[in-house]
Amino acid sequence: MGGVSVDSGGKGGRRSLDSEINMIPMIDLLMVTISFLLITAVWTHMSRINADAQVPGPPRPTEEVQKIEPEKQLHIEMRAPDKFTLIWKQSGTVISTVDVARKNPETPVRQGQVDTYRYPDLAAKIESEWKTVGQHNQSSDKKFDQAILHTDNETPYGKLIGVIDAIYQAKRPFATGSKQELVPAFNVTFSVN
Amino acid sequence: MPVQEPGRRLMHHVGLKFVEKRVSGGGGRSVNAGLSLTSMIDFLVVTVVFLLMTFSASGETPQAKGVTLPLAENTLDMIDAPIVAVTGSQVIVDGVPAGNTRAIEDAKRLQRVDELFNILKSKRELWKQTHPGKDFPGVVLLQIDQEVQAVVVKSVFQTAAFAGYPNVSFMVNSIPKTQH
Repeated sequence: MGGVSVDSGGKGGRRSLDSEINMIPMIDLLMVTISFLLITAVWTHMSRINADAQVPGPPRPTEEVQKIEPEKQLHIEMRAPDKFTLIWKQSGTVISTVDVARKNPETPVRQGQVDTYRYPDLAAKIESEWKTVGQHNQSSDKKFDQAILHTDNETPYGKLIGVIDAIYQAKRPFATGSKQELVPAFNVTFSVN
Repeated sequence: MPVQEPGRRLMHHVGLKFVEKRVSGGGGRSVNAGLSLTSMIDFLVVTVVFLLMTFSASGETPQAKGVTLPLAENTLDMIDAPIVAVTGSQVIVDGVPAGNTRAIEDAKRLQRVDELFNILKSKRELWKQTHPGKDFPGVVLLQIDQEVQAVVVKSVFQTAAFAGYPNVSFMVNSIPKTQH
């Protein structure tokens, strides 16, 4: 039977400090632990992408209503098959419009078992647009810039997530208590039209 | 039968010469290979440590059958909230059927899913009763198959918002961030 022992004492009538470890039960234990951990392991990591429905809260007649300056909003138009259109608007007035080329037809990237749509050019353009036009970029600012996604009714959900993921590539610092972290610069919502 | 001392038991009078040859190592390479015990234990210990570090005792959010979640890079950590799954044309809230989206697909326009609305509203009322004096977070997780049409996504999104859940999160499988 195998055993591990380091002879470092036991002389002079005293009991040895070391004791033998039985190799076979030890290897059995390691094997069982590995099997258990492999069986219970989770190999896919789920997470979430946030969106905001922009629903107003309940009316509060006791509070004084403050007049708020309408903010700039980024409208992302994805109805055309060959381009995305980024439109900055302030209370219905168009401030600027930029087109971003889109592959037509789009070919998904196969990642594992899932066909994924990625829009790196769109992500880069949205990031640069936010850096020049975006209003909420200070870490102490609790508000976020608003992005509104316009899509047709037949667009598959996988493509919507691809575009929302591209919008969330633009990051800004955000102070939570004493520490600062990078969070997406936009709040995303859908256009109902 | 008396207990005998362990040792070789191959009986020489049995005519299995090739076995004897093999066992004794004569006449060719032995079928047995030596294994270094130290290296093996090192390997097992490293594997156990790695698996223990990646182990999650809290488990994983259940995924509805038939739902293929899309992949995304810029994601947030999961939170505890009601899960609305949309698989095919079936809507499920925390494992309980909550309506059908076939009418929306046929009409191709935004509609409220009444059954989903009622279930979410009752969940909201229940939360308020069990957490008196606290602000309702209004968070719901949408677990939607990646082939589902946008009109269904928007209808479910809007139904959840009208039922008092304006903070809607889409469940995705996260992938490592690419370098830009």
